[in-house]
Amino acid sequence: MLDRILSIFTTVGQEPHGSVWIVLLIGFIFGVIVQYTRVAEFEKIAGFAMLKDTVVPKMLFLAIGLASIGLFVMVEMGYAEYHIKPVILGGLIVGGILFGIGMAIFGKCPGTGPVSIAEGRIDVMVGAAGGIFGGLFFTLYYDKFKMIMGESLGKPTLNTIFTGHEGLSILVFGIGLIIISIIIPLRELDDK
Amino acid sequence: MIRKMPWWLGGIFMAGLLLFAFSYIGAGRPIGASTYVPYFAGILFNLDPKAYPYLQEVHNAGAWEGVMLLGALTGGFLTSIFVTKTFKFTLMPPAWKKYKNNSVKSRLIWSFVSGFLLIIGARLAGGCTSGHFLSGMSQGAISSMIFGGVVLVTLLITGKLFYKSEADDAR
Repeated sequence: MLDRILSIFTTVGQEPHGSVWIVLLIGFIFGVIVQYTRVAEFEKIAGFAMLKDTVVPKMLFLAIGLASIGLFVMVEMGYAEYHIKPVILGGLIVGGILFGIGMAIFGKCPGTGPVSIAEGRIDVMVGAAGGIFGGLFFTLYYDKFKMIMGESLGKPTLNTIFTGHEGLSILVFGIGLIIISIIIPLRELDDK
Repeated sequence: MIRKMPWWLGGIFMAGLLLFAFSYIGAGRPIGASTYVPYFAGILFNLDPKAYPYLQEVHNAGAWEGVMLLGALTGGFLTSIFVTKTFKFTLMPPAWKKYKNNSVKSRLIWSFVSGFLLIIGARLAGGCTSGHFLSGMSQGAISSMIFGGVVLVTLLITGKLFYKSEADDAR
């Protein structure tokens, strides 16, 4: 098993962009932001599900709004490219429902969970074990799950829908999300 | 030092991190955080990638996210020790006690079940909060908007049905 664990670093080192150190750095900063803003707390995510805490949607929508405009500019200038996920209706809808139920009860998602574990949350470690079994189950029965997921309907984006007005559509989308992030009233659930 | 970063500063930094990850000087790819789970399951249970097509599909992304996760654990741990000073071994979040019940057993069983559902859901949809919400919607991807809408509605319905609306601490 050890050689397979070590091969993780070799695999990442062979990617065309980003050394292992850069990927570690990206993860490190991600961990610092998530921990420092406290969005990995059960009170923040389950609190949002109960509509008693709005820090998570405010931060998410602001980040997406800013990044969508920034990324469009970067792609236009040749500094980055888009990596679009396909529309697979069955997978997105059934997956979204299971994900939403899991997220509300667990009070974590796959990115914030590990940051909570690093803070000493034992219940989250148990949930991660459940997640590992989920990953195993999915891998073993991938052919069955594929039938739920359905065919790919392509990779539409705002740019492909509003051809000729790519910049404008992204600008409206981005600014719209930034405004939403500001007007959602700030509510915080006590974590004591 | 201030023990908590405000949401707007967190949002600005998160947008910066996303852009850095996308850029060619960064990693030239989006951030994701659920593909590493089946990848790790494959290693833990010693499954032969040749026999499982899904393990071949997630080979590169799983490894990438595994390394990113290592960084996230380190960053989260150091921040919880030195900055937020919140590191503590706990079994139950305070709000679970207030809005659900006072049973550690119940919290642990529900954690296991919901962790399982979360990963099955993310793998069916092809992404999670990081891959679909943050990275996908930042690209204006329609798939991510469909996923985001379904998750948002289900999350709020589950929150309403699963938890009590009034806190229990008055008694």
